[in-house]
Amino acid sequence: MHSLRWKIAGHALSLLATVLLGGLLSATLVRLAPGFDTDERVLDPHLNAASVQALENARHRDDNIFYFYCSYLSRAAHGDLGNSVALGQPVRVLLRERIPLTVRLLGIGLGLSWILASTLALTAAWLRLSIYDAMTTVVSGGLLCLPAAVLALLSVLWNVPGSIAIALIVFPHTYRYARNLLVKVYSRPHILAARARGLGEARILFWHVVPTVMPQMLALAGVSVSMAIGAAIPVEALCGLPGIGELAWQAALARDLPLLVNITVLVTLVTLLANSSADVIGSMFRRQEA
Amino acid sequence: MRLRNCSGNIARLRNAAAVAVICVGAMAGLAAAQGGQLRFCLHNEPKTFNPQQVDDDAAASIRYLTGGVLIRLNRQTQRLEAELAESWKISKDGREISFKLRSGITFSDGTPFTAEDVAYTMQQLMDPALHSPTGDSFRSGTGKVEARVISPTQISIQFPAEVAGLDRLFDQVAILSQNSPKKEMAVLGPFMVADYKPGATVLLQRNPNYWKKDEQGRRLPYLDSILLNIQTNHDVEMLQFKRGELDLINTLDSEYFDKLAATSPQVVHDAGPSLDSEQLWFNEVAKAPIPPYKREWFRSADFRRAISESINREDLSRIVYHGHAQPAMGPFSPANKFWFNASLKPPVYSPDAALKALAADGFRLENGTLKDKSGNAVEFSIITNAGNKARERMAVLIQDDLQKIGIHVNVVTLDFPSLIERMTQSFDYDAIILGLTNVDLDPNEEMNVWLSSAANHQWNPQQKTPETDWEAEIDRFMRAQASSSDPKKRKAAFDRVQEIVVEEQPFIFLINKNALSAVSARVHGAAPVILSPQTFWNAERLTVSGN
Repeated sequence: MHSLRWKIAGHALSLLATVLLGGLLSATLVRLAPGFDTDERVLDPHLNAASVQALENARHRDDNIFYFYCSYLSRAAHGDLGNSVALGQPVRVLLRERIPLTVRLLGIGLGLSWILASTLALTAAWLRLSIYDAMTTVVSGGLLCLPAAVLALLSVLWNVPGSIAIALIVFPHTYRYARNLLVKVYSRPHILAARARGLGEARILFWHVVPTVMPQMLALAGVSVSMAIGAAIPVEALCGLPGIGELAWQAALARDLPLLVNITVLVTLVTLLANSSADVIGSMFRRQEA
Repeated sequence: MRLRNCSGNIARLRNAAAVAVICVGAMAGLAAAQGGQLRFCLHNEPKTFNPQQVDDDAAASIRYLTGGVLIRLNRQTQRLEAELAESWKISKDGREISFKLRSGITFSDGTPFTAEDVAYTMQQLMDPALHSPTGDSFRSGTGKVEARVISPTQISIQFPAEVAGLDRLFDQVAILSQNSPKKEMAVLGPFMVADYKPGATVLLQRNPNYWKKDEQGRRLPYLDSILLNIQTNHDVEMLQFKRGELDLINTLDSEYFDKLAATSPQVVHDAGPSLDSEQLWFNEVAKAPIPPYKREWFRSADFRRAISESINREDLSRIVYHGHAQPAMGPFSPANKFWFNASLKPPVYSPDAALKALAADGFRLENGTLKDKSGNAVEFSIITNAGNKARERMAVLIQDDLQKIGIHVNVVTLDFPSLIERMTQSFDYDAIILGLTNVDLDPNEEMNVWLSSAANHQWNPQQKTPETDWEAEIDRFMRAQASSSDPKKRKAAFDRVQEIVVEEQPFIFLINKNALSAVSARVHGAAPVILSPQTFWNAERLTVSGN
């Protein structure tokens, strides 16, 4: 129990350090990106020299990245996440409005991909039929070869929800790993012995297979969250879904420093939380098994 | 005779019956068509609902649909019409405009509309801290803008200096309420913002207090509501239109236009050449980080004219725009009925004439490569914004055209912020292809493009003094047209500007795109035009059937 607490504390510290570093890295990359200190609005011929100057001054305010990041952290500690340069709205409002859609998209997408992957992987492990293996390998391999943007475009074309595209992007990764793991576990001597003694498949699955594969599957679950978040950007941007992914795309195109830094911090936080949670729960399983 | 009389009566009766049937049918049709919801897309998130801070297309569309203005530019006739102002008068010196306002009008929340509201609007709009593009259009000189309320229906607004085309500028000024607790959400236009789902939709509902009525005395607008989908992806917009989920596409590109025309020719509309132009220009900035010999080419009018003559604009129109564009003659499109200089000659495609002109300037063709008098091979890059298929294709066709006279062109695409940085800050480029979106008919709106001291004088911006004689001449004529309220004098001055630009080719104008749009068969009363907003300029008179 003591070591588990230390593990959680260690994870929390590394999480905090990574989030802070991720934010700084994102801010630095945006600052160094060509076109950072330009504003499309300066091309508006209606604006007079004073207004153009005001726009340019606003952009140059964030020239010193360390000053920007320190003041950002200080404001964020008081709940102020700054204002989006491109959309002219508070970042906190933008995130609050768009998070529910992305959470729903990722939740349904991940759920579908896991149901599909685990069902097919389990069937593959039970059946051990080469034709079945070949078919599922071709399907998952084919999906693995398709870029996320292509799947997103197909979902637009066929009027399929974006969550299906997310599911199909994540599915091949989870299926291949889960299938290999389950086949390996079902080949272990104690499972074979249990089968030989006539134990039911459900009992074998829940008493002998699940506890063995759970730590690896949890780790895979953590990784699949980051995969799904990565896929959400092209899916939302191409399907025109107003979520965090689409916001990130807009922010990147507009070199919107406050928005991009906040989205990076948020995505890093979610990804690390998913992975750390998987790691901690997995270690609990391992301890129980031991 | 009697018989004739009798048959005449019968004929009259028959005609009267037919007219009555048509009238009843039309009224029944109109009554059936009244109400309903119009749906179309905004291509970006509106940054604001405050009409004075509008600086993006989405917010401008919402301002057009919700804002009440004193004077409206009729998008079809290109003439000014009285709206909230019954009449107006501009003083001889062009510094003062007086309005006689309509009485008995209220904002959407019931607050009465008076001259005080106009004064308040102007005071807010001219706040220097606002940096409003609309407000900046009125700034012709230093000093304050004074609004003098004469009575609840009369107001006079004085400007520190003459403002050219003053009345036309009021087309963009949506009147705010001074007293309404709803502030800018209280409107005088046909619709009002009822709901906003960020990133998804803006719902506009009929303004119950809208003042206008149709010829039959029915209150406008006919529509109950307008649903604006925020959709940045044009492919999705096209799919939604095909599925019947949208009623309008305000601006179509030629590829989509032809695809739609192939399946539903009745829904697409080509209103002819628009005000928008696409142009190529060379970097003439003295401090630009380009080799001096290149700067010398780019600063030579003979070189620029030769490049212009070597570009086959008919091909650009035919291949890139599928015939939905016209070769551009100069700064203004023929679509701008008043300001276009009709004496300008159409551009000529003649690579042979271009080579002769280049030879006279010391260039020579050696083994298929054009070289300048110092022996440098003529080679440059054209940059344009990535993702704009038409510009990318135009650049490739120009590359091919110039190869015919021995010039090697590299085509580079950059994302927009990187392009703007090169164009406005580092000046690290040879040539650029971009477009000019003209939303206004008056040349005064382009002062920041044509004056040599202006930031948007793209080929060589912010000159302390004009670096060439012809730029000095353009400055003089632009200032002359801006300081006169006589339309004839202004037109003569701007005609000369157009001639100089065509002669010197600082911008090599390529094409004027046609205004392409799509209107679903459900929508009645639509008459797409070239001026923005092309399809819904008469939104208050549109009706939809089937919902």
